Amino acid sequence: MALTALICDDSLLARNQMKKSLPPAFDADIVTASNGLEALAVLRSQEIGVVFLDLTMPELDGVGVLEAIKAEKMDVFVIVVSADIQPEMQKRVMELGALAFIQKPVNTDKLSAVMRQYGLI
Amino acid sequence: MNIDWLSGPLLQQLNSGVILLNKQLQIVYINPYICRRADIQLESVQGKDLFSVFTDAPQAWLSRKLHSVLSLQSPAFSSWEQRQYLFKLPHLRPVSSANQYMAQNCSMLPLTEPGSNEQYVCLLIEDATDAYVYQSQLQQSNLQLQQVNRLDGLTGVLNRNYWQQQLEVEVQRAGRYQHPLSLLFFDLDKFKRLNDEYGHQAGDIVLIEVAKLISSLLRETDLFGRYGGEEFAIILPDTPLEGAIEVARRICRRVAASPISYQQQQLKTSVSVGVSEFNAATSADELIQQADLALYQAKRNGRNQVVTYYPELIDSLKKVKS
Amino acid sequence: MTDLSFTEEQRDCLQELINVAMGLASDKLARFLNTFVHLQVPAIGLVNAAEIPEQFRGQYQGLHSSMISLGFFGDGGLRGETILLYQLENAGKIAALLGYDDDATSEAEMLTDISSILTTTFLNGLAEQLDNSFSYAAPRVISSRDNDFIGKLEQTAFHWQLALKVDIRYELTDYSFDCNMILLIPGEAVLKLKTILDHVLAEF
Repeated sequence: MALTALICDDSLLARNQMKKSLPPAFDADIVTASNGLEALAVLRSQEIGVVFLDLTMPELDGVGVLEAIKAEKMDVFVIVVSADIQPEMQKRVMELGALAFIQKPVNTDKLSAVMRQYGLI
Repeated sequence: MNIDWLSGPLLQQLNSGVILLNKQLQIVYINPYICRRADIQLESVQGKDLFSVFTDAPQAWLSRKLHSVLSLQSPAFSSWEQRQYLFKLPHLRPVSSANQYMAQNCSMLPLTEPGSNEQYVCLLIEDATDAYVYQSQLQQSNLQLQQVNRLDGLTGVLNRNYWQQQLEVEVQRAGRYQHPLSLLFFDLDKFKRLNDEYGHQAGDIVLIEVAKLISSLLRETDLFGRYGGEEFAIILPDTPLEGAIEVARRICRRVAASPISYQQQQLKTSVSVGVSEFNAATSADELIQQADLALYQAKRNGRNQVVTYYPELIDSLKKVKS
Repeated sequence: MTDLSFTEEQRDCLQELINVAMGLASDKLARFLNTFVHLQVPAIGLVNAAEIPEQFRGQYQGLHSSMISLGFFGDGGLRGETILLYQLENAGKIAALLGYDDDATSEAEMLTDISSILTTTFLNGLAEQLDNSFSYAAPRVISSRDNDFIGKLEQTAFHWQLALKVDIRYELTDYSFDCNMILLIPGEAVLKLKTILDHVLAEF
């Protein structure tokens, strides 16, 4: 059964960029969400293998999503994809259980390396 | 066409200053524009700390700025309008103005050497002396115009309009910081008769001389204005009532004791003074009204004296009128 | 008349590029100021430049505020002017952080320094996103402690067709610094910007 990946970003451009940046070897169905609340709704209603999560979003931001995932003990890989690349922020999301932190705009080589590391491809 | 040869001669002949610094703010290069004006040789300053060569440069501020350029990789600027110059360099204008040194605009640009990726900061310095001189002249003219707009043409004390503006400012300040503030209103006694007897020219001279005499009795911070005709007003900041009464009495005594010479005659004159004191609930208008009522009472009491405002004054004056 | 309005895709694209530019800027500022800088999602709005003064009237009227302008030029006809608006009491906080309390610096100098750091750091990031690079004119104080703040803004906005309004909130570890940035862009540069955005969109 193919994995389902969730791309969560408030920007359509960013979601499209993310889709195109995924390595061809990544065999997954893609669903999208445009803010943190939508993302949580998706996570609660279906089996998601990996989330590509933006941080700065309206309604509920990425940190809020990570906190909810942790609190509800959801079994999902989270890769944060963000423009906010300060070391403090990276530390914070890693502490909240994110697997990796990818800087925007996404570098496809770095993304592939991270995904290979966690056996996603 | 290969234009690699261009930058050398351009830097030599450029009519702006170029100073290149490394990350430690040591001098890597200075173009002849700066070398000649600062009377230094490139060879003798290369590798030296910028501030050891230009010892008068504002070190704390400038090094902070240069570090921001290096760390943010964003340009920074300095304008003669805020800081007349960074480096003491002579200018080529004839010495027609007070400014001794070249007014400067300076851009500080982050540069990266392509091969080594080594980071530098480049200072581009432009002569803004012309603009500076022009601006100074303009400011001086504006200042003169402003003075003219604020002063009474005859006596040279503040005119009513400006004086009233200042009163508003002082009342607000006194209210905010809970400082004392007092007001004197005074009037030349029997001025109309003096005009009728000796002519308007004599009247004008008396106004000028009395204003001069009183000005000499005041502090720098007191605000002395002509309220109209022969009526004057003085704002005494940071002065409680007792101090104001003291000043008023001194004015009264000195004016009465100083006859004014006019065409071989000694014109005797005197003033009546009303005093009021600011408290938190008083507005500027009320303060004026109170001093004016006290002045009116001083006149009624027989002139050449000081009266301090007290609330019952209003009632007593009503009685007079009815 | 040429249509200067943006499609929803173009607006979204610009918003995302600005987000990324903000991220780069906040990272640089955080390292420079040695404190955590949190930039909130900037709300961007594209409006007719003539409407700008009215939009800021309520927000800044009666406050001691300051307005600093900085012009920029990029390749391919992209150019404009940024205006940074903020309340002076906010300026004091960031000035202290920049170390401005230790020597005699004029207020105007402090304001232009703060503004050029905030603006050029952001604009450099934006230029990078647009595959462009900007050069800058020296910043100047348009208005400070001025009653006729809105009047001055009217005069400045008058020359431009399109204004891109970016509300920025810099949150530092122990306090927040609110300011508004306005990017004023002339008509022909708006068309260039739209073309550039279409290129970015076509890539994805």
